[in-house]
Amino acid sequence: MNDGPASSANPAALRETASDACLRVENLHKTYALGRVKVPVLRGVDLSVAEGGFTAILGASGSGKSTLLHLMGGLDRPDRPASGVSSIRYKGRELAGASRSTLDAYRARETGFVFQFYHLLPELSVMENILVASMVRWGLAWPAHRGAATRAAEELVEHVGLSHRKRHRPAELSGGERQRVAIARSLINEPTLLLADEPTGNLDQKTGETILEMLLSIRAARRLTMVVVTHDERTAARADRVVRLVDGRVAKA
Amino acid sequence: MYQFLLTKRYLVSKIMPLLAAVAVILCTAMVLVVWSVMNGFLTMLISSGRTMTGDVVVSWPNAGFAQYQELIDDLRKEPLVKAAAPVIESFGLIALPDGAKKTVRVRGVEGPSYAQVTRYEETLHWRPISEPVEKDVDREDPRLHSISGTSWEEVLDNGRRLVRKGESGRVEPAMVMGIEVSEFNRRQIGGFYVPQQAYQALPNGEYAFVDLFMPRDGKVLLSLAPLDASGRAVEMVSRNLAVANEFQSGVFDVDSSLVLIPLEVAQDMLRMNAARRVVKDPKAKLAAGDGFDDPAEKLVEEPARVTDVLVRGSMDVFRTQDAMQLRAAVERVYERFAERHKGVVPPVHSINILTWEQQNRTMISAVKKETVLLLVLFMIISLVAVFLILAIFWSMVAEKTKDIGVLRAVGASSAGVAGLWVSYGLAIGIVGSSLGLCLAWTIVANINPIHEWLGRAMGIVIWDPRIYYFVTIPNKVEPDKAVIVFVAGVLSSTIGALVPAARAALMHPVKALRFE
Repeated sequence: MNDGPASSANPAALRETASDACLRVENLHKTYALGRVKVPVLRGVDLSVAEGGFTAILGASGSGKSTLLHLMGGLDRPDRPASGVSSIRYKGRELAGASRSTLDAYRARETGFVFQFYHLLPELSVMENILVASMVRWGLAWPAHRGAATRAAEELVEHVGLSHRKRHRPAELSGGERQRVAIARSLINEPTLLLADEPTGNLDQKTGETILEMLLSIRAARRLTMVVVTHDERTAARADRVVRLVDGRVAKA
Repeated sequence: MYQFLLTKRYLVSKIMPLLAAVAVILCTAMVLVVWSVMNGFLTMLISSGRTMTGDVVVSWPNAGFAQYQELIDDLRKEPLVKAAAPVIESFGLIALPDGAKKTVRVRGVEGPSYAQVTRYEETLHWRPISEPVEKDVDREDPRLHSISGTSWEEVLDNGRRLVRKGESGRVEPAMVMGIEVSEFNRRQIGGFYVPQQAYQALPNGEYAFVDLFMPRDGKVLLSLAPLDASGRAVEMVSRNLAVANEFQSGVFDVDSSLVLIPLEVAQDMLRMNAARRVVKDPKAKLAAGDGFDDPAEKLVEEPARVTDVLVRGSMDVFRTQDAMQLRAAVERVYERFAERHKGVVPPVHSINILTWEQQNRTMISAVKKETVLLLVLFMIISLVAVFLILAIFWSMVAEKTKDIGVLRAVGASSAGVAGLWVSYGLAIGIVGSSLGLCLAWTIVANINPIHEWLGRAMGIVIWDPRIYYFVTIPNKVEPDKAVIVFVAGVLSSTIGALVPAARAALMHPVKALRFE
């Protein structure tokens, strides 16, 4: 259930929640340049995510929640802060200063991304969209894992209810179906951390609820750690813990 | 592995890669067609040019040299020499039955020995054939049918021996002329000739159409100018000669300007036969009173002379080093021969001993340079393909920015993403170059029919035999050159993809995902 937000201003609370945390971020800063104007997005975020938990990051548009998710997923790197050190630790490994190849491997093996706009490859079929993540993970060793990966992809397709759509291309699917394909793709490499950026944001309410239920059941079945970025209070209400981001900082409770 | 899957999908689902492939196809085909034709042209030039001459020629064009039979005997003993033959080269004027006059190159030859050093017998056009040549579907070639007044066997034999039966039934020396010399034969699309009706001057000053088949009815008046030792024309000598046959070497320049006559006729007309002659001797002026009106004249016994001895090598002399080896052997033989006949024949350092290639080096070198120049020009044009692919790939990378972001999100490395675009370029290169090779092969293999069609349908004659020497365009693709062009096409395409691939690799994953 909702544990309430952690706060960078409350180190005791951080220590408390960090005891069983698998992902811990400290003093995260990120500034984007819009032409000559520098726009600070994250201004020192501290946060820990419990293993196997469902953490919702709630915030208004521009509050920095997607940026935080990208940093946690190794898609981007934090800025060097004026004071102290930025840190992103996943299961004890430091990612903030990790090499490119370490981050590539982290994304391929340990995380799964689900995006608001699905981000499927339009030229590939449903099965191929799922398998492409496995191909990326295994590289040249893919032929040796092809059979197992294909079986896993078929199971996932069945699990998300798209067995009859295996050979269809994204353009031939509805929004909900596309998101289910994206969920299946995020799971093909059996990640331990699932990162979802507004997974229901582009869907109608009913379909959004179905997708959320699906994510929750998958998380429970696979004991996944799940972080969902959302601005939807109803989605956040289903989380074990809700973190509110306001102006690039974790808001106090 | 995802690179192969996406490359396959991108190749067939977009119009832009097809455009890039078309650019590679056209450039590859263009370079290979030009290279094949020009190289074939050079090969034909070297090969066909030797059809009517030797691998090495010993030449003293001014006055000719004596004792040539002894030189030929010496040469035949040399292991590198297969055969040698005496020849006289000169220029002359012929008057054709229709009254036309034409300057020609005249070559005095002994039929059998000349056939041993050249491919002369193969070039004799009028001969019996049992099957029509390719494309002569209507069997229009006169050689397939009987000929009135003579037989094809007799015409062929006449050509070999340079003789023809005269009106009295006696066998007389005769001329063999290039098939294009008289202009009485019309070349057909299949490459064979059909004799045409000719205008003939009548005694009353009028003209009439007559059926004139030169090897049966034709006679020409040949005029030659014998030269003295200083190269001055002594007088003009004319003689009527029947035509025995016509040759087709395939080299237009040769077929339209060369006539062959028996060696003894050439020697006789050019005053190069063995005879006692009164000659001018400037030194004799000092010693007058030897019985002549002019104290500078004296009577000498002159041996028969020729201007050239053609030599055929025992190996298939085609490579430059083989020809040079043969030339060195001929030079050694001539040196010993000149030693024995000091003062009678030119010394070894004066006489011209040249390989066929050396004799024609200006023309061969020009063609070689022209080939290189054309290739360079077309390769520069092909660079356009590189930039075209670069431009197409650049816009494709922009279009696929989101896909790149997705791939990076699921763990693809920068190098992996770069590899996707490089392999895409490679695939377009392989597909484009393969199809380009097929297109080039089709064009080159059918270049003569295409050229004939262009000539018929649009009046465009690109390959004029008067400029390019040959009546047919070379139509062979050499496998090694096809491989080089293929590899170059694939490389060009891959190089064109490198910059867009680097752009894709350097894309920030988050920016790529947010790209609109």
